[in-house]
Amino acid sequence: MTLDSIWVFGEIADGEASASTLELLTKARDLADEVAVVVAGDGDDIAEAAGAHGADTVYSVDCDDALVGVPMAAAIAAAIEAGDGPEAILFPTSYDARDTIARLAVKLDRPVITNCVDVEVDDDTLVGTEPIFGGQTNIKTKFTGEGPFLVSVRPKSFAAESADGDEASVSELDVPDLGGSGGATVTDRFAEESDGPKLDEAEVVVAGGRGMGDADKYQAVETLATSLGGAAGASRAIVDAGWVPYAYQVGQTGKVVKPNVYIAAGISGATQHLVGMKGSKHIIAINKDPEAPIFGVADLGIVGDVHKILPKLQEALEGR
Amino acid sequence: MRVLVCVKRVPAPGAKINITADGQDVDAAHLGFTVSPHEECGVEEAVQLVEKHGGEATVLTLGPGDADEQLRYAASLGVQQAVLLQTDGTPWDPQATARAITTAIVDLESENGEPFDLVLFGNESADSGGFQVGVRVAHALERPMVNAIKGIELDLDNASVTAKREIDGGREIYEMATPAVLGVKEGINLPRYPTMRGRLASKKVEVKVVEVDPETGDQTRVTLQQPPEQVSNTVHLGDGPAAASAVVDVLDELGVL
Repeated sequence: MTLDSIWVFGEIADGEASASTLELLTKARDLADEVAVVVAGDGDDIAEAAGAHGADTVYSVDCDDALVGVPMAAAIAAAIEAGDGPEAILFPTSYDARDTIARLAVKLDRPVITNCVDVEVDDDTLVGTEPIFGGQTNIKTKFTGEGPFLVSVRPKSFAAESADGDEASVSELDVPDLGGSGGATVTDRFAEESDGPKLDEAEVVVAGGRGMGDADKYQAVETLATSLGGAAGASRAIVDAGWVPYAYQVGQTGKVVKPNVYIAAGISGATQHLVGMKGSKHIIAINKDPEAPIFGVADLGIVGDVHKILPKLQEALEGR
Repeated sequence: MRVLVCVKRVPAPGAKINITADGQDVDAAHLGFTVSPHEECGVEEAVQLVEKHGGEATVLTLGPGDADEQLRYAASLGVQQAVLLQTDGTPWDPQATARAITTAIVDLESENGEPFDLVLFGNESADSGGFQVGVRVAHALERPMVNAIKGIELDLDNASVTAKREIDGGREIYEMATPAVLGVKEGINLPRYPTMRGRLASKKVEVKVVEVDPETGDQTRVTLQQPPEQVSNTVHLGDGPAAASAVVDVLDELGVL
């Protein structure tokens, strides 16, 4: 069973299609005969990768300095009202995607299913599976009305695989007048410098939590990550405490990571954190509390003081 | 200055959730309830805005009669007005919730004779985490809205607000005219604890109750399921620093060295 046509909300990161864009395209080509991707910015940047992963068309939307969700929702809604829309649209879970799906839903007066880990076609409708209460319960929800069905999908729910498709054709979606909701504009953007692999793409992630003690001592996590050629991550507690920027956060409201090796140092393992890392291939936990929930998902555990163990570990690594 | 903060009564985060025998609902018999953490910061932000600019803060929720508890908690922190859009306790989807809240805001503003300068939501609720209601309400009211806000500067003289948010790899600053809607994120402030005087005062706050019925949305719940427990047999590599070399051996085996 497939739908006729699905669009994917795509995103361009550093001039390339984001990982979630390719994951969603891979899924979309199983669910529908025709697949297109809509992106803010220049669609030519991703035409090749999107085509390879199953997209027939890339639609570019010029968002300028507006909050992306506003022109994106307006452009997609206009296409749908003109009768050029798809039967379903898949969104990732970035801020802009969440913003767009909500705005689009209210424009079209359609329901949404958000945060899905799976999407299936059931006759001529869609069923989404979404984990709620931090992953303790899965809820399956089916659309019963008319499309387009709007679904947002959590990162890494599907593996991106190339189908060796031809380069997608690129065209522009027009942005209609934005009205009162178009009133928010970006006045400034600050980028933080970072070296090494990206957190959600690294083969090794070393993450620290409250147990690291303070922001200075968290440095040991960065050092270990660098020696292993990996990325440093953090629990929500220490991001909210301001030790490290939001980009470090692993968990329900941060990044979902699935590295080969995940080392959790001084992280107790709140459900909100576990959701973001339990898919890692090998999990090594270091915590002074043998009853910490992190040991419930760890493959290997060391009970003890991170402040003593990390320097030893660093030393042992450098000795090889 | 008028600020409205919308909150949701949710099961205490991290609590063990049981499902009813028919697989259609959450068994709330032994659950504790609270306000979502982002919204707790929204309440604090509303109180701080009033402290800084004067005026009045109002808290609103959509939920069962028991959500009175969450409204009074907000009142104990310094919010002056409370509104309960009372349901029969069944869960509402974001579409129906946003419609009811939008209607309530329009009614409150016409009673007040002026719009709320700011309407605050939490970035997402702690239970369903849909990121929907705030954006939908703002869109319906035709007001600008930005989510994930970690800093608010309100400029009443120029009827504008500057809002800061953290994004992947940096920060963005947005500027928009008021009335506006913002979704605030945990970390924007450190919510205060209620004082004894606040608690006593909160008992006297009159909660305005409005009965609401859901308009049926176009989606249906199929089932609730507990995902299989992830079984992990943790190999205990040792205690303390002595385990360091064993970890390096493992890393070597896994091919990351």
